[in-house]
Amino acid sequence: MLKAKNISVSYGRKQVLHGLDLTARAGTLTAIVGPNGSGKTTLMRALTGDVAFDGTVMLGDTDIARAKPYDLAAQRAVLPQATPLAFPFHAVEVVRLGLRGGINTNDRLALTALSRVGLDGYANRFYQELSGGEQQRVQLARVLCQVWRPVVGGIPRWLFLDEPVSSLDIGHQLTVMNIARDFARAGGGVVAVMHDLNLSAMFAHQVVLMQSGHIIGHGAPAQVLTDAQVSRAYGCDIRTSSAPDDGGWFMLPQSAGGEDRERVTRSA
Amino acid sequence: MRPVIKRRTLMQALATTAVACALPLTAVAETYDTSRVVAIGGATTEIVYALGEADRLVARDSTSAYPAEALDLPDIGYMRALAAEGVLSVEPTLILTEPGAGPPETIAVLQAASVPMVVVPAPYSAEGILAKITAIGDALGVPDKAQVLADDVRAALDDVAAQVGGDEAAPKRVLFVLSTQGGRIMASGTNTAADGIIALAGGINAIDQFEGYRQLTAEAISVAAPDVVLMMDREGDHSATPEALFAMPEMATTPAAQSGALVRMDGLLLLGFGPRTPQAAQALHDVLQEQS
Amino acid sequence: MMASDTTALPFVDRRNTARRAHLVLGALLVLVSLASLAVGASGTSLWGALMKLAQGQPLTLTERVVLWDIRAPRLVMGICVGSALAVSGAVMQGLFRNPLADPGILGVTSGASLGAVSIIVLGAALPAAVQSTLGAGLLPVAAFLGAWGSMLLLYRVSTRAGRTSVATMLLAGIALGALFAAFSGILIFLADDMQLRELTFWSLGSLAGASWLKLTIAAPVILVSLVLACSLGRGLNGLALGEAAAHHMGIPVERTKTLAILAVSAATGTAVAISGGIGFIGIVVPHLLRLATGPDHRGLLINAGLLGASLLLAADMVARVVVAPAELPIGILTALLGSPVFLWILLRKRGLVDM
Repeated sequence: MLKAKNISVSYGRKQVLHGLDLTARAGTLTAIVGPNGSGKTTLMRALTGDVAFDGTVMLGDTDIARAKPYDLAAQRAVLPQATPLAFPFHAVEVVRLGLRGGINTNDRLALTALSRVGLDGYANRFYQELSGGEQQRVQLARVLCQVWRPVVGGIPRWLFLDEPVSSLDIGHQLTVMNIARDFARAGGGVVAVMHDLNLSAMFAHQVVLMQSGHIIGHGAPAQVLTDAQVSRAYGCDIRTSSAPDDGGWFMLPQSAGGEDRERVTRSA
Repeated sequence: MRPVIKRRTLMQALATTAVACALPLTAVAETYDTSRVVAIGGATTEIVYALGEADRLVARDSTSAYPAEALDLPDIGYMRALAAEGVLSVEPTLILTEPGAGPPETIAVLQAASVPMVVVPAPYSAEGILAKITAIGDALGVPDKAQVLADDVRAALDDVAAQVGGDEAAPKRVLFVLSTQGGRIMASGTNTAADGIIALAGGINAIDQFEGYRQLTAEAISVAAPDVVLMMDREGDHSATPEALFAMPEMATTPAAQSGALVRMDGLLLLGFGPRTPQAAQALHDVLQEQS
Repeated sequence: MMASDTTALPFVDRRNTARRAHLVLGALLVLVSLASLAVGASGTSLWGALMKLAQGQPLTLTERVVLWDIRAPRLVMGICVGSALAVSGAVMQGLFRNPLADPGILGVTSGASLGAVSIIVLGAALPAAVQSTLGAGLLPVAAFLGAWGSMLLLYRVSTRAGRTSVATMLLAGIALGALFAAFSGILIFLADDMQLRELTFWSLGSLAGASWLKLTIAAPVILVSLVLACSLGRGLNGLALGEAAAHHMGIPVERTKTLAILAVSAATGTAVAISGGIGFIGIVVPHLLRLATGPDHRGLLINAGLLGASLLLAADMVARVVVAPAELPIGILTALLGSPVFLWILLRKRGLVDM
């Protein structure tokens, strides 16, 4: 269980988060959505301890503000938006950074993780020579290696994903979201900052809708992402779940199938 | 060999070097094996040649550029940056050096290798040249030859001194400029070879506020008011033409600039303080008189 | 999770390359060391001397001095300085996530220079007791203190609430370096003729000043800082992804940075103190190794030490043979050999070193 209480963050004199409370359960995928500048990435950084904040964040029994980096790393992994590298690492070497020590059996795990994110045969490619989307998936493989088993000794582990699909094509978006959902299904916890409301609605068990540093909706996608709430948050008139009036071309990732039918019961 | 012993040898050697630099040896009573001699310092090499003992030399340092035959000897590098093994490789039985040979680590190793080293005195005066000749003659075991050379040099120096004594015009104020690199004038104060040769030639060093060579401010130069500017003759140094030098703003107000009085002389001849110094003093004296 | 078996894929593990490189570079260092003992301006033969020793004959004084007082301390100093410069370079580049970072930009060199210049110009004013105790070790100690002091000052300036910003540190390093250079400039202006000559020799960069006395001070400091630096491999790997990512991977970021800074200032400061300014080893060696064996710092740091030592010894051999019986300043040689290699790397692998 991830419990954040009364989280406030200020950049200089400007307060960007105003006393937020948030709870996320292991076994579920929580999507944080909202317009640009609503504070969703700042909230993510507070949850992972990357910015100084007022309030408390508890990951299970661990207070993340006080925990040792090593203990925290054993419980949760964090995928940043983009990770530039200055040195000529191979893809597999980046993935292996997520592993502890240099035990040789782990090599197989690194290759398996690459294959899991759809990068079979990329092991010896230079990271710098990959596209932005491929780099993002290499980083996801690294993060997966760090918390490969979603539950260890009865204690769930967590994935924090900051816009994990923003630079991916639709096929890979589905691959990555499926990985996140499988992690949650196996008992781990997933918190993701998302831009894409369709994918959020499709994969998340729980949606947190933010606007101007406040949480204005928190719950199952269908309850949070109503016409009124979305219109208010994004400042434009939007109707959800309805085809355009002129019937023009549109495509929903939902049409690819694979929607999680159990999520309503589990996230209740 | 145990390091402990080494350290003591080294410290002793360093101490000896320091003493040798501070108090030039004037009396050299020991006799040396002079079959393979390394000469360090332009004047030292010149004196060895002037004594007719050049066949004993096996190497020289890079400041030893006169006479021209000396250039055929192996060069062991700049006298302040000698390499210990380089010096040992010419298998010297005696090293003749002016003060300032280094670095101290190299000198320490040479002493540990039991290579005798004679540091010849080098004050920038007439007496200094004679003492240098005597010390080298003693070290090479040819005191009689040295006496002859010293007498010649003394006579020549006395001759110049007599001319200086008979000068009717007021002594000239001379500014020795070492370099004008980057538009900055590096000039000689007191206690330098340049100061010494100016005095021998009957001039007055225009700068007496500091010792050694320093960069001068524009105002210091106009206060110094030199009648003549003295420089070393270097090929390819384009700033050393009178036009370029006197065009520098800090120079423009000086008497030297108004009369265009720039004197250039060969560096080793001018500043070496060896057997050719009477010749240099005479030449400089003549030029200074011409400016009157 | 699903486990598709991908071990059958052709896959190059550069960690094995790095491990093989330990052996190859180790053997290279042994060879270069032997050559360094055997080569010199004088005709003294290492094998001749060894044969004599084996037969129980005494060595001549010249043989003993050349081998034990000239070549041996020079060999040890070359190994110390070469490995210190190369490893410091690799650590700094890891810390700054910038393959062109060099210990010089942190002001370590300027700090060390200020220490050395102070002693050369003002040393005579020190109490006689201090002078006689430290003797020839005075200059190295002062240069090391200068480097270390400048690092501590830099760390104070650029660290707030236990977090060091690399950008602030970089800018502060440049500013402090300029400040130290200005202080050195004042001292150089005050220096007399004799002191100026000493300064010139010191700033040229050379192993010619090697002596056992200097090494008794410098070698242990460098050895300890190198061991410390080599233990930071995993931490520096994590830092390659950024401080936040390293923290999330469980790396004690602040501790890693502090130790890296300490190790680098001690190693570089001491190396600069005993050998003057020798450039390019710290940039070229880690760069070549990253291209050959990958950027994993665990193998890279050890390889950098081995290759840095070999390279400096080789350069030193050239320096003392090519114009014998005189010597070239080794700083000229490392720059002469290093900068074309460096440019070639940049041109050839331009895409891989973009920052």
